[in-house]
Amino acid sequence: MEPLSFMEAIVRRVQLNEQDKQLLKQEAEWGKTIAPQMADVFYDYLGRDKEMNAILNAKEGRIHRLRETFIQWFYEMFTGIDNWGKAYADCRWKIGLVHVRSGIGPQHVVPAMAVVVTAVGQKLRSDGKPEALSDALSKICMIDLAFIEQAYSEALLKETGWSQALFQRLIAKGAAASV
Amino acid sequence: MGINVNKLEMTLQQFVANASNVQGAAIVSPDGLTLASSLPGAMDEERVAAMSAAMLSLGERIGRELNRGEIARILVEGEQGYCILTSCTEEAVFLILADHNAKLGVINLEIKNVMGELRKQLLGVAQPVSL
Repeated sequence: MEPLSFMEAIVRRVQLNEQDKQLLKQEAEWGKTIAPQMADVFYDYLGRDKEMNAILNAKEGRIHRLRETFIQWFYEMFTGIDNWGKAYADCRWKIGLVHVRSGIGPQHVVPAMAVVVTAVGQKLRSDGKPEALSDALSKICMIDLAFIEQAYSEALLKETGWSQALFQRLIAKGAAASV
Repeated sequence: MGINVNKLEMTLQQFVANASNVQGAAIVSPDGLTLASSLPGAMDEERVAAMSAAMLSLGERIGRELNRGEIARILVEGEQGYCILTSCTEEAVFLILADHNAKLGVINLEIKNVMGELRKQLLGVAQPVSL
C-alpha cells in the first residue's frame, strides 16, 4: 500500500477541505496546550480496559513513551506536518504499524478516540473555539483511524499471501453463507 | 488463443466421471474466481473458489517461510475424504474433492494425467507435467 494515495482516498471520503486545514493550522498552538490533557483522557479510558491495560503496561516505560507519542500525534493533527502530504501519510502509516506490533487493534482505538473527540469538543466550547474546529478534528481522527485499520488489513494480507480481492471475496462469501 | 470455458468444463466433468472416487473438481484463479467447475450440487461454487485460492496462497506463504521451496500440492484429509489443491498455472489452481475410499497414489496419477490437458487449454500450449 502507498500511504499517500491511501490518505488521499480517505481525505476525499471524509471530505476534509481547505477550510478545515486552515482552521486546524490556525489553532495548532491551542492544540499543543491541550494535548497532554487529551493524552490523560485517552490513556485513562484505555487503562480501564483490562486487556488494554495489560498491553499498555507489558513493557516498562511503554505507557510513558506512548503518552509522549500521543502528545506529538495530537499536535500533528493540527499542523498536518506537511499540509497533510506524504510526510503526514508516512507518519500515520508507521503509527498504524506500531499499533499492529503492539496488539492495539481498531476495536480498542475507535472507542478511545471517540472519548477524545468528545473531550476536545467540550474543551473547545469552554475555550470559546469555533464548532467547525470540532468537525475538522473529527475528520482528521477518521483519517488516522483508517490508517490503523488498514495497517491491520495489510498485515493480514502480508502474512497470508492473499490479495485484497481474494480477502474481500472470501469474507463476503463466508458472510453470505452464514446469514 | 482464448480459453474455451465449455471445453474446460467438459474436461472437468469427464475427469470427475471417470477418475476413481473423485466427487468434484474446479479450476479457480489466485483471486478466488471460478474459471470452470464440476462440483457436487450442494456446494457454493464461488465460496469453494475463494477458499481454495486462500488455502493455496497460505500454503505457498508457509512453504516460503519454512524453506519448503515451490509448493506443488496441498492436501486436506478429513473423515469424509480429501480436498487436494494443485498449482495448475500461475493464474489457475486445480481443486479436486475425493471420498474417503480414494487411494492417494491413484488420485495423484489421475491429477497428473489431467493436468497436462488443463494446462494446454489454459495456456494454449502443452506444458510438461512434473508432479
